[in-house]
Amino acid sequence: MSETMADAGADTQPLIKVENLRKLFPVSKSIFREAHDFVHAVDGIDFEIAPGESLGLVGESGCGKSTTGRMLTKLTDATSGQILLADEGELIDIASIQRSHMRRFRRRVQMIFQDPFESLNPRRTVYDTVAESLTVQRIGSVQQREERVAELLHRVGLTPPEQFLFRYPHELSGGQRQRVAIARALVIDPTFVVADEPTSMLDVSIRISIMDLMLKLAEEFNVSYLYITHDLAVARYMCDRIAVMYLGKIVEIAPTEELLSNPQHPYTRALLSAVPVPDPAHKRERIDIKGGISKALNPPPVCRFIERCPRATDHCRTSDHPEFTDLGDGHFVACYNL
Amino acid sequence: MAQTLHIESRGGRVGTPLLEVQNLVMHYGTKEGEVSAVDNVSFTLNNGEAIGLVGESGCGKTSVALTLLRLLPDNSVIKGGDIKLDGESLIDLDEEQMRRRRWRDISMVFQGAMNSWNPVYRIGDQIREALRLHWPETLTYQEETDRIGALFELVGLNPVTMERYPHEFSGGMRQRAVIAMALSCNPKVIIADEPTTALDVIVQDQILRELKKIQQELGMSIIYISHDIAVIAEVTERMGVMYAGKLVELGSTLEVFHRPRHPYSYLLLSSTPSITGPRRKLAPLEGEPPNLLNPPTGCRFHPRCPFAIDKCSSEEPGLVEVGEGHSVACWNWQEVPEIGGLQK
Repeated sequence: MSETMADAGADTQPLIKVENLRKLFPVSKSIFREAHDFVHAVDGIDFEIAPGESLGLVGESGCGKSTTGRMLTKLTDATSGQILLADEGELIDIASIQRSHMRRFRRRVQMIFQDPFESLNPRRTVYDTVAESLTVQRIGSVQQREERVAELLHRVGLTPPEQFLFRYPHELSGGQRQRVAIARALVIDPTFVVADEPTSMLDVSIRISIMDLMLKLAEEFNVSYLYITHDLAVARYMCDRIAVMYLGKIVEIAPTEELLSNPQHPYTRALLSAVPVPDPAHKRERIDIKGGISKALNPPPVCRFIERCPRATDHCRTSDHPEFTDLGDGHFVACYNL
Repeated sequence: MAQTLHIESRGGRVGTPLLEVQNLVMHYGTKEGEVSAVDNVSFTLNNGEAIGLVGESGCGKTSVALTLLRLLPDNSVIKGGDIKLDGESLIDLDEEQMRRRRWRDISMVFQGAMNSWNPVYRIGDQIREALRLHWPETLTYQEETDRIGALFELVGLNPVTMERYPHEFSGGMRQRAVIAMALSCNPKVIIADEPTTALDVIVQDQILRELKKIQQELGMSIIYISHDIAVIAEVTERMGVMYAGKLVELGSTLEVFHRPRHPYSYLLLSSTPSITGPRRKLAPLEGEPPNLLNPPTGCRFHPRCPFAIDKCSSEEPGLVEVGEGHSVACWNWQEVPEIGGLQK
């Protein structure tokens, strides 16, 4: 998880390439009438993730980060746009995969959810949960599956595995459950994992051990993460690059330290200035922005941030949402007034 | 009239002791046995001061708050100790006397309080109800309205919005209104238990600034309770670190953050990621908090403590002073390194 890896991302073939991805949710007043209003949850985003890289997707609640994650794992279908996944030398478009090919897709892409209390089936043992994707994918004999599950439990730190194989979720602590969820995601050797706030339900002390585990496994399994979080400090710890989302748009994307030390978008600056710092002597530069996050219901085509932006000019009010400006070294920002 | 518009803290002179908690012990009775949730906790809150209590879930921080307010569930027993507000013991008060002191003397901003508004009443009318029950004199409707308007302005809400229903407020606005309600009767102390936990970071920042402004301008005394040490660093002057029902370290926030003396505080601080400072590897805190049905002998932290010595498992350390106003309950506190020291 070094800076060199983030730089490497630019030259090599991307693992995931997202182009103009959109998701609109219809808001209909009556079940008999066709919807005319749409919430633009994700409204035309582009990004790439290199093999082995982890990209952080940060933003406030309702900005569309989870919807993006769900589209990348095909738990939600995209309204339009492309999600290209490199698989054995060819690029497959996730958005157009047919049901019959879903199994191959699921071997490559897995997900870790926020709440380990909700995401594990309470009636299945740890073994059942972790072995399920092996069974579905028809990988190995029963004995091989058992060995593989035991190996995974060992690697996620549930040792000795025999003690955990036949336990139920209610017999495990939050941290242990999240380890099971990680084992479940990694058991079939995926190349890409979407992790949606995997540590936000955990206590601070357990959080670090889960984050360290995910970093270690990313290297061992050579997986890429899309790491969705509202916590910039966590994103800094976990990610090579960070993308900041606001109302369905990515407003800034840059290598982690570059984004934190040299934020360019007014929203990124406001967000960074609001993060509490665990040091009472630290004096923060406060950047005030007006109001709260609004809903992305039929947003006008101008910059999404315009209502709260301290820099907004007449040009912003009459132009489309700004395209990315390339600031070099992988730093892109969507703002007219840099 | 002017009296009813005046929002203040009814505490005494800034810097003098206001709330004194002495050797508080509280247990929950369960089917499996007694859970020692608060064990021998002592601290003092001075007038005009903001102090913080931090710790992981289940360490007893909220139990301390509930004990101070005497809002404990039926299966709880206060086994000992004393709570004095302005020199008067709250432990001996009966339920009715205590009820009168809530909101009036000690008010509260709870975790998720923004979701506890009654959806079918206007926000302003719900604050009006608190005023009617707890304001010492009977106010006219207009006086109440004026006061609610003044409270709204203080917490950064437009007074016109008091006519609105909770669903018309955003999460941040609802939490501001909760703070307005907590201030409604000019309390002496506010207990803020995770006041911003469910809020987005920009809104959290705004609310914390509002609370800090209120504390400093009105000379209000606030006890913040949070699992997030970054929040505690932002808003408090002194802090206590709790572990498994015990207060293990107490000192000025600056001191505890820069030179923690208890291994648990040290590990808690070392395992908190930050967006500032060098990007460093964080030290995880191994193991899990103990089951308080059957707490470990000696120091309750010793099974997880990298600095534990033989004595730790047999004898319980008491709080000892290690610096000015800085005390710690650890046998081996001299061994605790500076932050980042374990990795060097």
